[in-house]
Amino acid sequence: MALSNSRPNGNATVAARLQKELMDIMTKPTPGITAFPDDENMTVWTATIDGPAETPYADLVFKLSMEFAPTYPYVAPTVLFKTPIFHPNFDFSGRICLDILKDKWSAIYNITTVLLSLQSLLGEPNNASPLNGQAAELWDKDPAEYKRLVLARHKAPEDLDA
Amino acid sequence: MDHSTLVFASVFPVLSLSHTTPTPIATPDLGYTAPGTSFGGPYAGRNTELQGQAQHRAVKRNIAWSCATRFLSLPRDVSLAPRLQRNKEVEEALGYLLVGDGKSDDGKEESLVEWYTNECRLHFANHVRLGLEELWRKEVELRHSWDILDETQRILEQVQSVYLQPFNEHLLPFLQQNASNTTIRPSRPTQLAESDAANAVSWKFRRDTHAVFAHCLPLQRYSKTLSYVLYDAACRLFRIYTRQDGLQPNTTPEDTREFRKRMTTLLQGLERVGLGGDTAQKAFAHAMNKLLDSFITSHYLKVDWYSKKSIVPHLKLWIQDGFCPLIELVLECLRCEQSSILPTEVSSWQEMALGRLGRSRVDNLFDFVIHWDKSLGAILDIKEYLRVSGAKQNLTSSFSQQISRRLLHPGATTTYILNVYISIIRSFHELEPKGVLLERVARPIRRYLKEREDTARIIISSLLTDLSDETASKFSSNGELSYEIASEMAKPFANYGQEADEELNWNDMNWQPLPQDASPEYKKSKVEDVIWFLLTLWEREDFINELKNIYGDHLLRCQDPEYEKEIRLLELIKVRLGDDKLQACEVMLRDVLDSKRINGTIRTTINVPTATALVTPDHRSVEPQTPGDLPPRTPQPRRPTRSTQHLTPSAPSPAPPAGPTLNAQILSSFFWPQLRDDTFRVPAQIDALQKEYESRFERIKGMRKLRWMNALGEGSITLTLDDRTEEFDHLTPWQVSVIYAFQLQPDESHIGQKRAGKGGEGITRNVTQLEEMLEMDAALIHQALSFWVGKSVLRETSPNTYAVIERASSNKAADEDAAAAAEELATIQAEQTTTVKSQADLLEEKKDVYTAFIVGMLTNQGNMPGTRIAMMMRMMVQGGFPFGIEEVRGLLGEMEGGGKVVGLGGDVWGVRK
Repeated sequence: MALSNSRPNGNATVAARLQKELMDIMTKPTPGITAFPDDENMTVWTATIDGPAETPYADLVFKLSMEFAPTYPYVAPTVLFKTPIFHPNFDFSGRICLDILKDKWSAIYNITTVLLSLQSLLGEPNNASPLNGQAAELWDKDPAEYKRLVLARHKAPEDLDA
Repeated sequence: MDHSTLVFASVFPVLSLSHTTPTPIATPDLGYTAPGTSFGGPYAGRNTELQGQAQHRAVKRNIAWSCATRFLSLPRDVSLAPRLQRNKEVEEALGYLLVGDGKSDDGKEESLVEWYTNECRLHFANHVRLGLEELWRKEVELRHSWDILDETQRILEQVQSVYLQPFNEHLLPFLQQNASNTTIRPSRPTQLAESDAANAVSWKFRRDTHAVFAHCLPLQRYSKTLSYVLYDAACRLFRIYTRQDGLQPNTTPEDTREFRKRMTTLLQGLERVGLGGDTAQKAFAHAMNKLLDSFITSHYLKVDWYSKKSIVPHLKLWIQDGFCPLIELVLECLRCEQSSILPTEVSSWQEMALGRLGRSRVDNLFDFVIHWDKSLGAILDIKEYLRVSGAKQNLTSSFSQQISRRLLHPGATTTYILNVYISIIRSFHELEPKGVLLERVARPIRRYLKEREDTARIIISSLLTDLSDETASKFSSNGELSYEIASEMAKPFANYGQEADEELNWNDMNWQPLPQDASPEYKKSKVEDVIWFLLTLWEREDFINELKNIYGDHLLRCQDPEYEKEIRLLELIKVRLGDDKLQACEVMLRDVLDSKRINGTIRTTINVPTATALVTPDHRSVEPQTPGDLPPRTPQPRRPTRSTQHLTPSAPSPAPPAGPTLNAQILSSFFWPQLRDDTFRVPAQIDALQKEYESRFERIKGMRKLRWMNALGEGSITLTLDDRTEEFDHLTPWQVSVIYAFQLQPDESHIGQKRAGKGGEGITRNVTQLEEMLEMDAALIHQALSFWVGKSVLRETSPNTYAVIERASSNKAADEDAAAAAEELATIQAEQTTTVKSQADLLEEKKDVYTAFIVGMLTNQGNMPGTRIAMMMRMMVQGGFPFGIEEVRGLLGEMEGGGKVVGLGGDVWGVRK
């Protein structure tokens, strides 16, 4: 990340940038995705993703946390699933294996694109580099068992808050 | 005499029962021979001698007693004092009984003095008491109280003299004589004791009589009456006008010296008959207490509105030189132990008086504040009063009540409240320069002012008002402008800008600790700076936002081409609020100044004398119209000078009379508040001018685009009608456009020709037509139409249909009535039209975004209370969220109706699943 340290006064710019993103999300909401800052310093957000239809995740809602470094958007945000999820590319702690959140990050991405990528990853897991081997295996072999495990692991956001 | 009385008397001797009548003529007791002794036996002699002696004494005493008591017994009628002459027999009897052997040494026998005392009591009870009780039986009327006291005193005095005279004449001399006889004895102390004994007897007798007197009067009634009499006397002596008893004082001043004598005599008389003492002193204290109140009410509650001096020194002087002497006099009459007054008492009375004066003043403090600064004297009194302990609390609570009762109610206009608030600031500055009290009493006012929607507008517009022009009419208390604020603004201002932390300035030799009664939020304020108080009513940001709107509006309406006042105001506000926040205002000011320059430049580049309009990005101008070649019957707008862009002040345009001219106001849209952006079609000539202006502007400013905002312009036109020509200035663009639409359009000229002349009416159009022609909002059309009807240019021929009045003479009266009504309507409507968007408009416009915010917030952060939602909105919404909890709740309510959120009770909200 050559650019990562090149911005002085990072906190002020990141807040301004995030505020603008928030405004964009609010004026042009994307269905199935929401995001909102946790408090006024804007660097920690909570987001929700609706599971894509016709996948084992249909009708489920997932909560995520996003944390932005002062150098955002030159470095990727740290994204974690707060809702327990059964998926080849996410581990049981909610960590995510997704290239654009790692080495493929680019400053042209934003919160909406990250969330959309994660939403599509739900329906099309990348079984080549699984974090959860069992899930990767079951995905092709036994969709019924896979679905059962997804539902068993899932918790509604309300339960999560409690 | 019933049995129980007898039983009681057997244990506790009741004098009236055992009292002897003065005629005990009894057979002398000759004694008996003791049992066992022979009668007349040889040994009997000694005994007999002893016995005989005793017997002899008893006999003798009885005889003397009988004689003395008969002599001393009192006549029934007391009006004549008995003048008894002692004969020898009586003298001997008295001597024997009082100082001789007959004296009752052992206390077993009744002494003559006791008997006489008792006799007096009985006499009093039987002959005098009834009369007195009659006198006091009923409530004493105020006006009779003097008489009753006089009468009582007279009776008692008389009775007393009747009682005392025999005592003094016949009893006392023996006792005194006895005392002086004993001078044989050498020891002086004993002699004194003896003579004291005589005095003691005399004193005891008086005391007993006085007790009887006092006992027969109803104590409470007596002390009230006496108290009133003293009060009345004092009131008359001091010429008090407002009395608590409601008596009107005589108009002719009474002879105070005589009156004082009457009072003194009465008091001395009462003291003589034993009615002084504690009771009288208490009554006197009571009277003086009331006197102090009455005196202050009567003499000092009037405020000196002219000399503006405190009356406290006078009051103190009066206490010292008027009140104290009176007390001394009375105390002397009542023969109190302490007859002189200590200096500490004087000062404590002064303080007491000051406290009363202060409390009475505080009760009227609100009036004093309103009449500041004529009421300076009263305020200075209160200032003195504040030194009394408890005064500040009293002032705060009393004044707060007055404020909430008299000021903070819906009936008071905001301007009035602001003016009173300013008076409060000024007067409390005088009252207590440190400002602690001010802070305390002003808190409710500030809170209340913040709730009023028009407060900020009034303050800022008042700040922008010029005191010198048309003063009288604009500043009524109902108006929107506060004279007080305007005059404050006109004052030269000191340097308020330094807000250095004084606590850290170690070199400040004038540093003082904060007042000990200050509240935690207390800030050392420049108390005298009224504007500072007003500007700090809100959070700085909120105020600046509001300022931006009003300032922008003001700039657009301003008629002064130099913007002198606006520049000054901005500088003043910068000094107070810091210039970093006022960038937008500066840009706005620069915009209007630049526009003037650009207008000039562009006009010179247009060689043809058409009107020019200047525009900068996103602004627009309104057009002037001239009909050069239109049929003369229709109203012909001429020489319209339009300023474009949010209202601009149009400098008098030098444009040739031939065609319309155009001045533009070029505003940087980013820095200006949201402006009215109604779209409608402007008259063709104006449109052409705008295009022209636009192209020139783009040439000067290098491709920057202009967006015309037609609603914000201002125009001047000349209407040429059949029988008259009228000029109008400061018209709104839609008024101009509407009247222009009554001109014949090119494609319909033949129709116009045909219809002209009928009933003096010109072209007729209805509202629908106008809406189509102008693409204008119906509300604006109606407003413009009523304006023109008000000016007697149009007439409503049938509902929603209007015609030009070409000849004013026809149907005049009806037109005038309609015109008057319409003019009123137009005035009201015009007031509601501002150039800047109102908050309500803004909320409506952005509702979707705000809704999305709230849903996003609740989805991701869980359920939240409304207050927290409002707070988050203020922090999160880019560009600011200028609304409060009320608006948020309203929004939530709407969303709940729309099924997006759900109220969970207790102001907590969540998303609907």
